[in-house]
Amino acid sequence: MKIGIHGLTSCYGCQLSMAVVKRILDISEKFDIKYFYMLSSAGKIEHVDVAFVEGSVSTEEDEKELKMIRENADVLVAIGSCAIHGGVQGILFNENVEYEEAFRTVYGNRDMEYEGRIAQPIDKFVKVDYRLPGCPPEEEEIMYYLATFAIGSWPEEKDYPVCAECRRAGNPCILIEKGEPCLGPVTVAGCDARCIKYNIPCIGCRGPVPDVSWFDSLAMTFKEKGMDREYVKKRMAIFASRYEGLNEMIDKIYGD
Amino acid sequence: MKIKKEIKVDHLARIEGKAGIDVEIKDDSIDARMVVTEGPRFFEVITKNKRYEDAVAIFPRICSFCCTPHKLTPIEAVEDALDIQPSEQTKKLRELLYLGNMVESHALHLYLLVVPDYLGYSDAFEVARRGGGGMVKDGIFLKDVGAEIQTVIGSRSIHPENAIVGGFGKVPPKEKIEKIEKMAGEGLQKAVDAVEFFAEYEYPSYVNGSRRHLSIKPYEGYGVYGNEIISSDGHSFKIEDYKEHLNEEVASYSFAKRGKFMGEPYTVGAISRLVNNSALITGKAKELIEKYREFVNPENCFANNFAQAIEMVYFLERIKELASELHDIKDESIAKPERNSGDGYAVTEAPRGMLIYYMGIEDGIVKNVDVITPTAMFLPMMEVDISSMAKGLWEDGYQDREFIGKKIEMVARSYDPCISCSVHVTRL
Repeated sequence: MKIGIHGLTSCYGCQLSMAVVKRILDISEKFDIKYFYMLSSAGKIEHVDVAFVEGSVSTEEDEKELKMIRENADVLVAIGSCAIHGGVQGILFNENVEYEEAFRTVYGNRDMEYEGRIAQPIDKFVKVDYRLPGCPPEEEEIMYYLATFAIGSWPEEKDYPVCAECRRAGNPCILIEKGEPCLGPVTVAGCDARCIKYNIPCIGCRGPVPDVSWFDSLAMTFKEKGMDREYVKKRMAIFASRYEGLNEMIDKIYGD
Repeated sequence: MKIKKEIKVDHLARIEGKAGIDVEIKDDSIDARMVVTEGPRFFEVITKNKRYEDAVAIFPRICSFCCTPHKLTPIEAVEDALDIQPSEQTKKLRELLYLGNMVESHALHLYLLVVPDYLGYSDAFEVARRGGGGMVKDGIFLKDVGAEIQTVIGSRSIHPENAIVGGFGKVPPKEKIEKIEKMAGEGLQKAVDAVEFFAEYEYPSYVNGSRRHLSIKPYEGYGVYGNEIISSDGHSFKIEDYKEHLNEEVASYSFAKRGKFMGEPYTVGAISRLVNNSALITGKAKELIEKYREFVNPENCFANNFAQAIEMVYFLERIKELASELHDIKDESIAKPERNSGDGYAVTEAPRGMLIYYMGIEDGIVKNVDVITPTAMFLPMMEVDISSMAKGLWEDGYQDREFIGKKIEMVARSYDPCISCSVHVTRL
């Protein structure tokens, strides 16, 4: 089976996660890796059975490359929060910051030979067949996706929240009992509630669950716990910047 | 001036991030440009107006290879701003966590990204297929040692969430610390083998040239924390004054900023640390430095690969030592802030060199951020070396584009550039 592993604008953590799975040497024998530029100078974009794409579209070049990857792949998998949701750099979209403004803040009054953009998830440009969530994805899930493709099957995406895994793990609820700003109820599962086991409230790094109506009841709980509106808006948006109704929903919950 | 030849590496493989190299050979000069095409990510804009706890969780996303430095350095800056005093145990655990990242990052860079060049292969998979399996497995083991440390202390090896302002969400159990100690011991000989490997290769003389090395002056030993920056020619300044000394420029062909010190390119990283601070190194690594003194060459960028191997040896011994000092590890509460507003500065030694954070906080909310990454610091120096390599080869009669391309890629890789870090990107 031919695969390609690609990176657009990101931290390269999804590719790094794929590179360091325990059985990487077995994978390199079992799969014909046509493209993995982070690790190999041998690759070029050519036809593959499955292409994995990390990163958001943040430049014109990103868009061109993504389209070329799509044209050459039977199946395209978006890996990680940047590819699936735009990533933390997508916050600018949620906060209505124009590219020009962000650019001038950082680089000053200059012209560039390349044009950047506000980060967008890859499904704004191409058809995405499967999503492998995480920031970065878990090793177990990477192996599960690879294995299902290898046997001619396909992976089943999780649609339930971290909360479900957290309850099953028997952790005390840090949201209800301690009033921590935990985003476990609205974040897609798969991490086995790792952070909560460390007493760290979930920051939502795996991205929002498909049913965003859960955000309403969580915002209500946060309000009851005494958290302020701006804080809740900003925290919820870190990994869910493309949930377009988020700010209006929170304003509705908090009232005037 | 007519361009005689242009050598382009559109997308440089085996580095972190996306960049190309452009070399123009003209009648009377050779110019090299590191073209950084990875998109900008505006981290100082996206962390602004957030609570500091949330901001420090966002910064590691600048780069997966150095996510731990991008967690621990802003934590230092916040603690400086709000006068938070972490416990001695927290300081030890943080250093251990930091060194775990150092070993992992050096191992990934040397074995997966650099060694294939030295052996003439496209990647580590090919190295493994052609009889170098033992060496690749050594590299993977060393990477695992670093990843395990970050998992035990930080909760995971990429984007560790357990390290927070004031301490740790949960203190790791004693048994796990003992496991780290054991693994570090098992990795030591493999790291020594890496030093011996790199000591078999002479450095290409084309890139010889004097240069300034900048590093921190560590608080303690050959550590990664400090608050003073020193240069190899005797200058020094406090981190609070970094803006007066370290300038950053913008070039139209790159989303990465570019550092200057006293108006000139400079370098940072493992070789700079060794040039400035090798007297502080002890144990097996000290013996190896004495044995291979000529490889700690301050004038050649290829010395950085050797220096990273030496550091793996030193840091593994230091990890063992730190872990043994943590046998009486116990649960602790998280240190609280003394105030809610303030300006904080921090500098640490990340795998690729100095990493600087400034954070201005008002009522717990982040109002100003400045981050200067090692890759942004050394980019202009890297371009000087790439030009020198191309020029040297060209003048010696090598005219094959692909051949020159491979050699200049090796120059770039010796710096271990982190492109995602360099485009994060800082305020002017």
